[in-house]
Formats: sequence, structure tokens, C-alpha cells
Amino acid sequence: MKPVQFSVASKLVGDAAVIYPKGYLNNLSGESLVNECGIYIGRGITKIVVNFSETDLINSIGISLILQIMEDLRNIKGTICCTNMSKFLHDTFEMLGLIQHMIVFPSESDAIKYLKAGTP
Amino acid sequence: MSTELKKALYNISALADLGQEITSENAFHEKIQAVFYVITGTFLANKGAILSYDRSSKKLDTLTKKGFTSTDLEQLAPEELMPLSKNEPCLIKDAPFLAVVGAEVLVPLWVRDQFIGALLLGGKLTAGPYTPEDLELLKIIATQIAITLNHHSLFMDLSDKLEENQRLYEEMRRIYHGTLQAFAAAIDAKDAYTQNHSHRVAKYSAAIARELGWNDHDIEGIYVAGYLHDVGKLAISNDLLNKVAPFTPEERAEIRKHSTLSHNIAVKINFPWKNVEDMVWHHHERLDGQGYPDALVREGISDGVRIITLADSFDAMTSQRPYRKKMDVQTALAELRKCLDSQFDNKIMLVLCRVLDKEIKGELPEPEILPNLDKNSDLSIISSLLEGIIVELSATQSPA
Ligand SMILES: [Fe+2]
Ligand SMILES: [Fe+2]
Repeated sequence: MKPVQFSVASKLVGDAAVIYPKGYLNNLSGESLVNECGIYIGRGITKIVVNFSETDLINSIGISLILQIMEDLRNIKGTICCTNMSKFLHDTFEMLGLIQHMIVFPSESDAIKYLKAGTP
Repeated sequence: MSTELKKALYNISALADLGQEITSENAFHEKIQAVFYVITGTFLANKGAILSYDRSSKKLDTLTKKGFTSTDLEQLAPEELMPLSKNEPCLIKDAPFLAVVGAEVLVPLWVRDQFIGALLLGGKLTAGPYTPEDLELLKIIATQIAITLNHHSLFMDLSDKLEENQRLYEEMRRIYHGTLQAFAAAIDAKDAYTQNHSHRVAKYSAAIARELGWNDHDIEGIYVAGYLHDVGKLAISNDLLNKVAPFTPEERAEIRKHSTLSHNIAVKINFPWKNVEDMVWHHHERLDGQGYPDALVREGISDGVRIITLADSFDAMTSQRPYRKKMDVQTALAELRKCLDSQFDNKIMLVLCRVLDKEIKGELPEPEILPNLDKNSDLSIISSLLEGIIVELSATQSPA
């Protein structure tokens, strides 16, 4: 099986960054996801939405990278929302106990709506 | 599926991830980083580090870390870790002397009786404790990492040794060449009329060999042979060597001994290049069997000998000799051409002409022949002569 090259895209919606990982989060190329979030955090963004619609598989390396993003956000009292998660992803996050430390939405627009409502 | 079962499956797949990373073809540091992610992702550790033990400095080097500062990690003293059980996770709360801010588990890494380093982990995201199952898994992982680190350090030791050997070899080569140059200078000084002759024959021969596609090692060998081809002249009297009048048959025979003397000297040196002895011994042989000392014929004469022979004659013609003025380059080339087949090899002559032509046209970064030729030469005349010879001789060569 050919390894799927991981890539990441992003955009700014209001004061939230929406991140689109694409491909399997299972090797060092997933570090670009942490870097992408780091760029927004560096610019003062505290709300990050990760849309997982194009990433449905993850392994321990990917979990470690998601953990890193969660910790980076926690250090600045930020919020991480995860959306469009496959059942596998959701089950894995739940089993590991990651889910309590993030806010999960079925879709990106739900997350954006929630984050907007939270801003005075 | 129960959460326990799911967790067990996740752990098994983490071990598979570990195996995949350890056996990957990634560079060592990428490998270690990926392994580190596997570990922090498996236990959701907020801090962690992989440290390797440097046997020469007796210190722990940080290979990768997260959450810990360098100062935190400097508190770990290797001698305090060594008495701990090999590859057994040790809870920091049970070993207060290991106090590193934020650390919860430490595993001393060993392969047989070699201390390799340590794996350190902080608390979990879930704030839960490390369970006995976690520690069991960690032990398996630690053993794998220890082996990986050990392989790497063995490999690095080897490549350090290799590098040291390489350095020594280069040094020896330098000394060797220095000695050879001194030898050549001694020969050339003895024969006042052939100043730098050995040096030039070495350069010309190497240039021809390079154009012929020889490898660097063999080129170096012919260079050395060029330097030493006339070393036997050291054993011939100065008066004879510098004599201007024609030689008597006895004198000629005496002079002719020099190539055998060169050979006798060369065989005493255990050269790392093959055929140096052959090249110096037979540099006065001719294809038609009229040469000396062995009157070898065609197939008996190696390419190396054919190169040295041509380079030797070309230099002899284009430099001043006691018995005649030096020839200009065109005349020398025409002379050599006349002696093709009987004395010199067509193919080698073709290659010499090609190199010289390239040098004149500035196509070679480091010309080796042209700088030694008469500065007043008319290069355009030489170049068109060379082109003519190249066309003519190319036609006689069977296509490669
Ligand atoms: Fe000679
Ligand atoms: Fe010579």
C-alpha cells in the first residue's frame, strides 16, 4: 500500500482558525498540522476548529500530534473544536479520554456558530 | 466492545507503530522522533524525553524532549540510574532521588550489560496514574528503544573509526606523494637537461588516462609511475647522463639499464596501485618489438605502458635536450604521428590529441599539458593539426 502523503490547509473564519488535515495522521508528516496551528496561535488566535472530514485514520503518532495542539491551546486558555470525525476517530478519542478536553461538533458550521456565540 | 478491549487493541497497534518506525529507513533522528510520538501518543504524556548515554563524556544527551527544560533533564545523573532495574519502568514517586520536575516514570535503557540511556515520561493528559498494564507496555517499548539506540551507537562508533582511517589514509597519501615528488626532483636534478621531466610525464600520463576513462585510483597509479619511470637514472653516472657527444655502444647499453633499475627500485615499494612496476620497467618498449629491455611486442605491452611511453617521448621532444634543441609542438606531434604503429599506439595518440585539443579550447577545468608547452606556440596552428590527426585516427578506431 502506498503511503498517503499528509497535507494540511487552513483558513481564518472570524477569530477562529479552521484547519483541514488531509490524509492519514500516522507519521512525521503530520507535524505540519501542529505547525499550522502553531502559526495561528503565534498570531494570537485562541480558537481552533479541526475539520477531520478528510482524515479518517489515525495512529499513536497522530494522537501525539493532536495532544500537542491541545496542550498548546491549553497553555493559552484556548479552545479546540473537532468536527466531521469518522466513527473510528471518535471512538479512539473517546476511549483514550481525549474527548473530554475538546468540543466535538458534527459539522464545521456548528463549531463556528458555537464559537461566535461565545464571543461577546 | 469494552473500553478495556479497545484500549488493549490500541496498545497493540501502538506496538505495531513502534515496530514500523524502528525498522523504517528514516534517518536516526527522525526515527527517534517518530518513536517518541508513538510513546507520548500511547500514554497521552504531557512531558517526555529520550536520553542517550555518551560513554566518553559519561553524560546523558537529550535526543528528543517535550515539556521538560534542559535544566530539568540535567538533574538526571547517569550513575543514579544505573543501579535501577534494567528496562524496568520506575515510578518517580517511589524513587525521590530521581526528582525531575514534572516527571512520573523513568525507564533506564539497557542492552545486555550496556547502559544505553533513559526514557522519561511526565503525567497523562487524563491526570490518571500509570497502571500496571501501562508499565508492562512501557517495558516492552523501552527494550525496543534501547536496542535501536544501541544499534545506532555501534554504527556511529564504526563510522567514526572509518572516518579516522580515512583521515590517516589521506595523510599517508600526502606524505607518500611528497616522498615521490622528492624522488622525482632528485632524478630531474641529476640530469640537468631534463628538469621537471618526471613531473611532466606524470601529469601528461594522468591526463591521458583520465580522458581514457580510467578510475581515480588507477589514474593516481599512472601518475606515480610517471614520476618514477626514470628513477633508475639515479644509479647512472652524472657524466654519462649529461654527455653531449654521441654515445658509444657501451654507453648506450649503460643508459638503457635505467628502466630495469627503475623497476628494481619500484618493486621494493609495496604500491597500492597495480602495474606501477610494469609501467616503469617497460617505458622504452616499442609496439614493433624494437624497444628495450624485453623487446616486448604489441599485446605484451599494456595500455599503461603505452601511455607512459607516449607521454615520455612527447615531453622529451618538446623540451631541451643536450644533443638537440627542443621541437615546437607541431613538429613533435608530426614526429609522433610518423612513429604510430611501429612505436606508439594509435588509440593513445588519439586520446593525447583529444586532451590537448580540449585544453587549447578551454574545455578542461585544469589543463595539465598546455601550461608546460612553449608559451610562444601558435595555438590555432596546433589546434587545426590536432583536429586533422583526431579525424584521421578516429577513422582507424573500431566503434566502442
Ligand atoms: Fe626513460
Ligand atoms: Fe623519461
